[in-house]
Amino acid sequence: MFNYNLQLALKSLKDRPALTFLTILTIAIGLGLYTTIKTMSYQGGQVPLAHKSKNIFLVQMDNREITAEEVTHQSRLVDTTYKDTLNLLAMELPGVEQTLNWYTYGILNVEDENINPVRATASVTSSNFFTMFEPPFLYGNGWDKATENNAEGVIVISKLMNDKLFGGRNSVGENVRIGTNVLQIIGVLDVWHLSRKFYDRGFSSGRPDNFFIPYTYAIANELPRIAGFDCWQADADIARSFRNENTQRLLNSECAWVTFWAEIPDEQIENYQQQLNNYIEGQKALGRFPREILTYVTNLDDQFSYINGRNDFMNVFSIISTLFFAVCLLNAVGIMLAKFMRRTKEVSLRRALGAKKKTIIAQHIIEVVIIGFLGGLLGIFVAYLGLQGMMNIQIYSSDYTRRLEDLQPLFALDFTMIAKAFITGISCTLIASIYPIWRLCNTPPASQLKSQ
Amino acid sequence: MLRMENVSKIYRTDLVETHALRKVDLHIKAGEFVSVTGPSGSGKTTFLNLAGALETFEEGDYFLDGQNVKGLSDDKLSEIRNQKIGFIFQSFNLLPDLPLFDNVDVPLRYRGMSAKERKERIEHALETVGLASRMKHLPTQLSGGQQQRVAIARAIAGEPKFLLADEPTGNLDSLMAQQVMELLEDINSKGTTIIMVTHDDQLARRAHRNIQIFDGQVSDIEKAVANDVIRSA
Ligand SMILES: Nc1ncnc2c1ncn2[C@@H]1O[C@H](COP(=O)(O)OP(=O)(O)OP(=O)(O)O)[C@@H](O)[C@H]1O
Ligand SMILES: [Mg+2]
Repeated sequence: MFNYNLQLALKSLKDRPALTFLTILTIAIGLGLYTTIKTMSYQGGQVPLAHKSKNIFLVQMDNREITAEEVTHQSRLVDTTYKDTLNLLAMELPGVEQTLNWYTYGILNVEDENINPVRATASVTSSNFFTMFEPPFLYGNGWDKATENNAEGVIVISKLMNDKLFGGRNSVGENVRIGTNVLQIIGVLDVWHLSRKFYDRGFSSGRPDNFFIPYTYAIANELPRIAGFDCWQADADIARSFRNENTQRLLNSECAWVTFWAEIPDEQIENYQQQLNNYIEGQKALGRFPREILTYVTNLDDQFSYINGRNDFMNVFSIISTLFFAVCLLNAVGIMLAKFMRRTKEVSLRRALGAKKKTIIAQHIIEVVIIGFLGGLLGIFVAYLGLQGMMNIQIYSSDYTRRLEDLQPLFALDFTMIAKAFITGISCTLIASIYPIWRLCNTPPASQLKSQ
Repeated sequence: MLRMENVSKIYRTDLVETHALRKVDLHIKAGEFVSVTGPSGSGKTTFLNLAGALETFEEGDYFLDGQNVKGLSDDKLSEIRNQKIGFIFQSFNLLPDLPLFDNVDVPLRYRGMSAKERKERIEHALETVGLASRMKHLPTQLSGGQQQRVAIARAIAGEPKFLLADEPTGNLDSLMAQQVMELLEDINSKGTTIIMVTHDDQLARRAHRNIQIFDGQVSDIEKAVANDVIRSA
């Protein structure tokens, strides 16, 4: 009986190729757009370092003045002062690693005079950055604690810069100059995909950093700083100057500007929080931390669910694409309903000749599943085109500062999404066709046979 | 055999109740050729549809081949239609986009026969109605009489015990009608019970027995004749 029903279903699809194609196309376009947006939101919202994202924490302490405004969410609280950064780094807890981030900038030269200098923004960080955030290395390594403590001039560069400045060869050991400072390359990263660059709290996507420099070196050589300086009233006037000068004053100030991170094993999380509180109590005796104790130790999972939830662009488009898909499905149902209703006479005859209700149902379910399957298949192709299109729009709208290799993972159709698209395509078409099929199979056997 | 006891059929719409059949008592023996006549709207098609398990009824009992049809599930009714009954509709009701072979194939498919057996039966049935050479043609490529013969082939391919024909000659000229009638008589002679609705008195008289329906009430000529005999005695 399955064979016969399959034959009938295929015949029905073949006999009206235009209608069949229209139905499939309608489903495919709706599903394609839906899958495009879902993929973007899925890939863009994926939490990096999934294997330990719940143990990677942004650490914040409220060292603001008594007059400062109330803060009720982690995202609104300032970063960390340099003093506190050093003190926390000195705090040793078993299994706990900590690191920090700010940016510096300059013109970067290589020895080869045929290579143009590049404008460089460099992440200033500590040796733990590489063990905590696990960027993949192509050549060499990150720096070690000793190198850091000696404030040696070393630098880790990205694959892109290695390609650009050194033609892709192993450049470890070669020197680059930032302004007048000479730094030796100690490691070259491979393409490092982060759905969002979280470690500077910017959460931008598709913009990885090209250079990494030890913070000790940046301080010792008074490299300029890119950061927001949240200062107490006393320093408010000169806060802007901290970008390029007044290094010593900044380091001793109560200005918060360093993004501070900790990797904390489960069993230490409570203790870490306690240590933070103890630390603040101790500092209060020194006249710091004038406000009631407020700390946020927020892991990546929580930060990402907050960020994803606030991604209005994606949320709006999610809703629009879902509605659009629903409209497309309704349209497809309309077409199928019309097509099936034209068949009442035939169904009535088949019933009269002995077809059971369930046989009629099976025949039409097979037809609908084939349509859903083909719709899903074409929908995945549409989604692929949609994602390519969206990616190219992003590259174009960034004036080509974003690169294909960084963006590609954000627009990649992965197996889960393909499977979901398929299942969604088939099940939605099925659900949508319940009504037409139900109407059809309930055609009384004799009702349509009286006259031509 | 086919036996109706006190069967009534009422069509209810929002506005009216139509008593299409009223308390029908009837017994048709195996191998009989029965004609059914009566004015338009009197309930002939309704009677045939009930007899063919195409429609359900509220009152009475209907035994087909010893089995009470009343209250059977939809699936069971489908099976009965498929296996015991061949139906010839007033308007041929062939599937226009299927060749003759596939049209005759429909009831056999729902019976789940093997491909080989189906092929044999279809060819035999089409031979019986004289259309074996046109198996691949579409219904629209045939004359009305030929189409009706295809419908007959479809009805007999499954070798049902009962053949129900609703004005099988209604759309045909008299020559064609003759041919179809001869075909039915031939089929009947091989043992198939036939009930045929017709407007044509001449054809009706060729049956073993004539049943008349007026306003949903069946009067059995055989019985009437028998009663007359009793009365006049
Ligand atoms: N599906 C239905 N719903 C409501 N009333 C119906 C239905 N089918 C038939 N009837 C009514 O039942 C009565 C009997 O109809 P039926 O079709 O049995 O007549 P008939 O004797 O076959 O007439 P004809 O010779 O014109 O074919 C008619 O009054 C008709 O209007
Ligand atoms: Mg009728």
